[in-house]
Amino acid sequence: MQIVRTSKNMRGSVQCDNTTMHLLQANDFVADAIRQEVRKRNILLINIVSSAGSGKTTLLQETAKRLKDKLNIKVLVGDLETERDAARIRQAGIDALQIVTGGICHLEAQMIWQAMQKLNLDNTDMLIIENVGNLVCPASFDLGEDYRVTLIATTEGDDKPKKYPRMFLTSELMLVSKADLLPYLPFSVEAVVKDAREINPTIEYLTVSSTSGQGLDEWCNWLLEKVKEKKETTQEKELVVS
Amino acid sequence: MHEISLVRNIFRTLESNFSFEELEKINAIDLKVGLLSNVEPMLMQSAFEAVVSAEGKFQNTKLNILLVPILVHCTTCDQTSEIKEYNFVCTVCGKPNNNVVQGTELLIERVHFN
Ligand SMILES: Nc1nc2c(ncn2[C@@H]2O[C@H](COP(=O)(O)OP(=O)(O)OP(=O)(O)O)[C@@H](O)[C@H]2O)c(=O)[nH]1
Ligand SMILES: [Mg+2]
Ligand SMILES: [Zn+2]
Repeated sequence: MQIVRTSKNMRGSVQCDNTTMHLLQANDFVADAIRQEVRKRNILLINIVSSAGSGKTTLLQETAKRLKDKLNIKVLVGDLETERDAARIRQAGIDALQIVTGGICHLEAQMIWQAMQKLNLDNTDMLIIENVGNLVCPASFDLGEDYRVTLIATTEGDDKPKKYPRMFLTSELMLVSKADLLPYLPFSVEAVVKDAREINPTIEYLTVSSTSGQGLDEWCNWLLEKVKEKKETTQEKELVVS
Repeated sequence: MHEISLVRNIFRTLESNFSFEELEKINAIDLKVGLLSNVEPMLMQSAFEAVVSAEGKFQNTKLNILLVPILVHCTTCDQTSEIKEYNFVCTVCGKPNNNVVQGTELLIERVHFN
């Protein structure tokens, strides 16, 4: 560690090197290892985040139905206490593993790394992580993902982005979920997109409903496109190396 | 938030960087916290006190929290501006900008010894 030691016997104050005294350093180190591993294996890694109950698991069930014959997908689901979400996703036909955090309000890279050792990732195209329902803490924890996708349900109100800026700042895609309820709620898609883009001008968005099916084809196409892009960039790198 | 585990992280970081004798002499820690780090200073202080009394370490150490604002750098104007109310724009040219150069920090900036 880079510490300016004024004398052998510490007195006064010492300035610390920013990178070595960073508190989430251990997490970021493992996140980088995950990034390398999925690159090596040609797997697209997606981290899905939202407040509790915004519809992450339901969306993954619908995604499984549409994509399970096209892609080899694996899912890791974080939950404070239960095993229910993984069971729901398995019923929809894809391999899912639950990570019970035992009260921890977010997933950390170390938990993902350990869970990955338990999955058979051979020939996997895409690994999706359903994070713990919480828009605050998961924002600070890099899991080595290629893309972070934030769900915001129409039932939550359209003022979420400014309340949880870090999450929207670090996400590439925002899914406005439960769009079937739009006619009954004072929720403006335009307002939420405007707020999100004041934080993150490049954030993309889609309006989806797992109940009516609205937007699900666009969502699945977005995933297929990203899987394809990832495979292409990895192949390009291989060509450069060889 | 997970302030308790962050405090444990602070202790672990210090313990792996200083000797036992040095640790005994630490009387203050300056923690740099960016406005985007999702850390609430009040909760951090009380978490610090809670862990100190639970583990009996760092009894004579004070935690100073230095909150730092969000800064973005605009490559067009080569200017740095402060972000207010999470409105991510360059204050010089008014263009949207999320090239954050300060504000996500969560680190031990300085350690004071007596
Ligand atoms: N109307 C409507 N309800 C939905 C939709 N998607 C999910 N729901 C309902 O919302 C509730 C929560 O859905 P989940 O998929 O469990 O949400 P989640 O984000 O996985 O929840 P946690 O994992 O607990 O954070 C359930 O009762 C779903 O039936 C939708 O598109 N429209
Ligand atoms: Mg769920
Ligand atoms: Zn500018």
